Amino acid sequence: MNRVALLGQPNSGKSTLFNQLTGSRQHVGNWPGKTVEKKDGTYTYEGSTYTLTDLPGSYGLSSNSDEEIITESFIKGGLADLVCVLVDASQLERSMYMLADFSALKTPCILILNMMDVAKSQGKTINAELLSDRLGIPVVPFTAAENKGYEELKELIAKELKSPHMLKTALSKTSGADAKYEWIEAQLEGVTESSDSDYKLTKLDRILLKPFWGKVVTVAVILVGFLVAMLVMSPFMGMAGMLPKLLGSPIASFLNGLGIHPWLVSVFSLIIPNTIYFCISMSAFVFGVNLVFGFLEEIGFLARAAYQFDGALSKLGLQGKAVAPILMGMGCTIGASTGTRVMDNWGQKMLTMMVVWAVPCASIWSVIPVISNMFFPPWGTALVCLGIIAYVFILMFIVSKVFGKSLVPDESRSGMIMELPPYHKPHWKYIIKEAWIKCWDMFKRAIRTVTLVSVIFWAFSFSPSGNVESSLLYKVGTFIEPVTKFFGMGWRTFMAFISAAFAKEAVLGTLNAVFAGQSNVADVAFNVSTGGVDTAALSTIMAQTISPAEALAFMFAITFSVPCLMALSTTYRESHSLKWTLKTSAFYVCAALVLSCIVFHIASLFM
Amino acid sequence: MKLSDLSADSRGRVTSLPGDKRFINRISAIGITSGVDFRVIKNDKHMPVLIYVRQTLLALNRRDCERIEVEVAS
Repeated sequence: MNRVALLGQPNSGKSTLFNQLTGSRQHVGNWPGKTVEKKDGTYTYEGSTYTLTDLPGSYGLSSNSDEEIITESFIKGGLADLVCVLVDASQLERSMYMLADFSALKTPCILILNMMDVAKSQGKTINAELLSDRLGIPVVPFTAAENKGYEELKELIAKELKSPHMLKTALSKTSGADAKYEWIEAQLEGVTESSDSDYKLTKLDRILLKPFWGKVVTVAVILVGFLVAMLVMSPFMGMAGMLPKLLGSPIASFLNGLGIHPWLVSVFSLIIPNTIYFCISMSAFVFGVNLVFGFLEEIGFLARAAYQFDGALSKLGLQGKAVAPILMGMGCTIGASTGTRVMDNWGQKMLTMMVVWAVPCASIWSVIPVISNMFFPPWGTALVCLGIIAYVFILMFIVSKVFGKSLVPDESRSGMIMELPPYHKPHWKYIIKEAWIKCWDMFKRAIRTVTLVSVIFWAFSFSPSGNVESSLLYKVGTFIEPVTKFFGMGWRTFMAFISAAFAKEAVLGTLNAVFAGQSNVADVAFNVSTGGVDTAALSTIMAQTISPAEALAFMFAITFSVPCLMALSTTYRESHSLKWTLKTSAFYVCAALVLSCIVFHIASLFM
Repeated sequence: MKLSDLSADSRGRVTSLPGDKRFINRISAIGITSGVDFRVIKNDKHMPVLIYVRQTLLALNRRDCERIEVEVAS
């Protein structure tokens, strides 16, 4: 049997090792009946297949959390033939705590001293052979983020599965923390050169850890990061943007020549190229955001950001670590949802995702000022933007009040207890690879989901006569208008509200289609991505058709509704919970309608 | 005396760790055990306390620091 399990504290590089060994042959789900993530994967070495399980578990194995119970029963149940225990070589003493806990389980294992590069850069030396002799198991110095040493590791695993080793000395299950550290000290005696020099904050830390200026610098760095990501990705988005133009008319004339029904022609010449373009540009966004945050994480910056915002986030029932996904949300909600993986347990992760949905992403900021300028002077637009920003905090607070108690019950609320790692050089190859995996995964899902929804939307908006009034969209929209009017939106804005939950980028196109009216709704809505909206003309028509109060209500409604279809799909993928994904969506749609209703009725008094 | 009462640059020793099993396990796993010596690196209002213990720089949220009993060590 070739069943290998990975065990290690957070930050020990466990998921890096897992990803590098298994590549794309992974299966991620939940442990049966539990909201704890289960990651399995396989790899082959010299013709044999090995299964790899990433064991959950936080810092040790004795706190009886769901994660630790699962891990313990997995190992005790004999489901792992070999356990690879990972420790952070740069923090060896503390990191060996997991091994001390594990020793009570008396199972064959090897010890991987990860992050040797960091240990080295700190001037720490580790005598792996001595440690191996003392422990009685193989000890491998390693740097998981570098693409080296994996073949040797696989070879060792294969060898150990045939002739396994167990720890020479084991602690009993009931040993206290002191006994564990004594055991660790005994194992490490003479193995590491501990230079007990005094710790001094680096110059950078003296600025970054300041209560006020540290926060300012943190936010500034993130914003610059987004700009860089946009610059890097814009050529790709630009190239993808040419696809609909390049493909559209040749496909159309080719299919028309075959005498195919115009409906099908428009599916192939319009919807499909635009869907591909849309998916590529969205994936590019996800890639860019992950690249920036992968970099900031690797160099140790995000740990400082977590320290800065721990106080504020604890008010939401979260802890400092949630700052990274929330800030990522300012760029892209999809990327931010995958960023919630850093959270300690499922409840915190789900709550973080729900809070992240409240953060307006970069796309919405490309829509709001355009619409606002149609109705309000520049200072009015500035007020609208400020109002939206202010409401972000209110909504985050409401979300945490409504769902905080059930997702993160008081007894599992744990404040931030984390190490601030020393700054170190990023492993670019690894960062790019990770960002690519996330981006590719998103792209594959996006192609399926977006195509399906595009076709549905297209069918609703298709009008044989070319006039809005003969489309299904118009009929449904006007039929439910008495209800939507109560929430502050007429049928036109309500249709755009629905398309906003599909993708924020589609809002202007939909508005153009439903307001301008003459042209085919489907054509205009899908042509938006190629820059087909004449905002000046749209502005005139919109201002004539709807009141500023309705416009204001509409802007709030689209900003705080479901962020986009792919954010929803990603939330499901990350939470593995259909129930909570639907709950989140239902909450956001309802909250957006209530908000729209309030904004409309108040604004109507003044406008 | 509580951990949160110590000012930056002071040295201390943990005397007792009150709390439930979960908390004690978590905090022990990261290196804080009773009797361990540490140094406070930063302690600003409304911010987590930064301490240096077992050659690691740790950020501990304030609420937990208000529970950890310490004594001043030289």
